[in-house]
Amino acid sequence: MNWPACQFRWPAALLVLLLAAPAARALVDDALSFAYEAANPYAERGWIIREDAWGGDLGQGDKKAVTAQLFRGNSYIFFLATDIDGAALRVNIYDAEGNLAENKSWQRGRFAYAEIKPRSTGTYYAIVEIISSPGERTGWALVYGFQRK
Amino acid sequence: MILRLLFVLLLCLGIAHGQKPYKTIDLGQFPAETVDNVVIPVPSEIFTVLDKLGNPNWRGELGPEKNYPASPNRAQVALLLGTVIADGFVAVEAEDSERVKEIGRNVLTLAEVINVRKSVVARSNSIIEKADAREWNAVRREFDGALQDVNQAMLELNDAQLAQLVSLGGWLRGTEVLTSIVKDKYSRDRAELLYQPMLVDYFNRQLDEMSPRLRRLQLVGEIRKSLGRIGPLIKESRPSEISEKTVTEINALATQMVELIRARP
Repeated sequence: MNWPACQFRWPAALLVLLLAAPAARALVDDALSFAYEAANPYAERGWIIREDAWGGDLGQGDKKAVTAQLFRGNSYIFFLATDIDGAALRVNIYDAEGNLAENKSWQRGRFAYAEIKPRSTGTYYAIVEIISSPGERTGWALVYGFQRK
Repeated sequence: MILRLLFVLLLCLGIAHGQKPYKTIDLGQFPAETVDNVVIPVPSEIFTVLDKLGNPNWRGELGPEKNYPASPNRAQVALLLGTVIADGFVAVEAEDSERVKEIGRNVLTLAEVINVRKSVVARSNSIIEKADAREWNAVRREFDGALQDVNQAMLELNDAQLAQLVSLGGWLRGTEVLTSIVKDKYSRDRAELLYQPMLVDYFNRQLDEMSPRLRRLQLVGEIRKSLGRIGPLIKESRPSEISEKTVTEINALATQMVELIRARP
């Protein structure tokens, strides 16, 4: 498996994109709107959704890893979205040993979701993947939230 | 007909396989650059866990009550801003609305020195307003937001390295408080919160990659040295086995670094 080399945080991504391709920016902006749209019902149920987000664009079958420090005692939810109609993507959470660690995940159309209640405090990886897409590049955005549970 | 059914079955199996995550992945195949970009937890993530672990003496953890004068050393101001925002969380836990308001004003003063005042004015006002109303969860969210706003504003000003120092200052002050609370009433559950090897590596890497001008600053050099000592302490144990002695050692290092950050230039 060839893991992609770069992954960037939303504000940095925003800067790069502002200077570069307007089309790519639109892709990620729209993907981000969809990710927040998916997260919104959870915010209404008391989850704290982070205001920053991570994103970029990937080709079909490509993967990216977002590295996160998670704490035992919290529950975490990750929302991945794209603006591309007909694209399918997914997000899965792995622990520092590379074992699948999520409690639940699903993939529906342009949205994907993963939930984890970490069994121990430490480093985890949210692996973002474009399963299929009608476009050559697919913009994606990932947001996450947490709750005491 | 049978062939058609077989085709549909194979298609379904194929789709199911495509959507099923791997049980394990080889993290060794991650290129190093992937790890450069990490999600820094917002302080609320740690404080929500701490809430569950008894009732610490938050008032005892409050930092010194003072207004911070303008310093010509922008790196120190950035680090200080991070520690002050972390202090805001402690004041929220202590439910000390006067202190929260004072911290909200200090955030504004320090943000002005590093040219990001505009980005935190609304947050600062909201912190003061919500502290008056004693809406503690809302105040926490505003402090989280202030940290993110400052970071973003600095990135927009091409001051990414100062933004990193703000995050580092917040993490150091958070670590000082966390270790103090854990050693005050040690348990393995509490100590596990300190297991943050990836963050220590991340901050170390950022300091290593800072411009020579910043790296030459005595304060940055001292922090780099101390942070280099925290890493092995955290990594020598499994998450659930961080000892009381290790907690005390990390606390001493974090306290020393925060004192340096707060010292007058």
